[in-house]
Amino acid sequence: MDDTIHVRTFARFRELFGDGLEIAVAAPATVRSVAAELARVNPAGARELLDGEGNLSKSVIVMVNRERVAGAGREDVPVHPGDEVAFYPPVAGG
Amino acid sequence: MIRVTPDDFDPGDLITRARQKDVGAVVSFLGIVRDDGIEGMDVEAYEEVAEGDLQEIAEEAEAKFGAIHVDIVHRIGHLSVGDDIVLIVVGASHRKAAFLACEYIIDRIKEQVPIWKKEHSQDGSSRWVQGEH
Repeated sequence: MDDTIHVRTFARFRELFGDGLEIAVAAPATVRSVAAELARVNPAGARELLDGEGNLSKSVIVMVNRERVAGAGREDVPVHPGDEVAFYPPVAGG
Repeated sequence: MIRVTPDDFDPGDLITRARQKDVGAVVSFLGIVRDDGIEGMDVEAYEEVAEGDLQEIAEEAEAKFGAIHVDIVHRIGHLSVGDDIVLIVVGASHRKAAFLACEYIIDRIKEQVPIWKKEHSQDGSSRWVQGEH
């Protein structure tokens, strides 16, 4: 059974955290608990991901199952086993 | 054609293919790796999302400006100075719609599509291009 969250990271975040991580978090999981677990495993990257109060830094973009979650309260969006959660810095294509 | 690809493309070929009987104007934008004292860059994408985003942006340009034909090709992987990065080709009935749609598409790409560039300097150092969105 698929009981982990698939975490994707890109660009500078991929270098800090690695891509394609499988993270186990206690249910009910949220974007916040996934980010907290990433930060716990990788304190060096934590400062890029979280602000001083444990919220995601404003510039960090989050997707759950390839859809952006934005706005106040985005940390509280629920995630479920098997979901894909992506964290990445501002985009710079084109 | 909407594509995120490591493969090079032929801008002239895509412009030629934009010709259709109701198209009276074709506008293209070609982004190229500029010689800023860099050796080249690596372009990275969240591929599962990027191509769908480009498709959505193309459809927006069709709905907003009446673009009839839209191609967007964005390269990923290692690119050298002078290599093509991105090509947008818009065909519309009239020039104004084609110009507006083309500019809209490149602005939306820079705003939303999960793509990043890491520039490699000739001295061996490298840095991520700072995104604004």
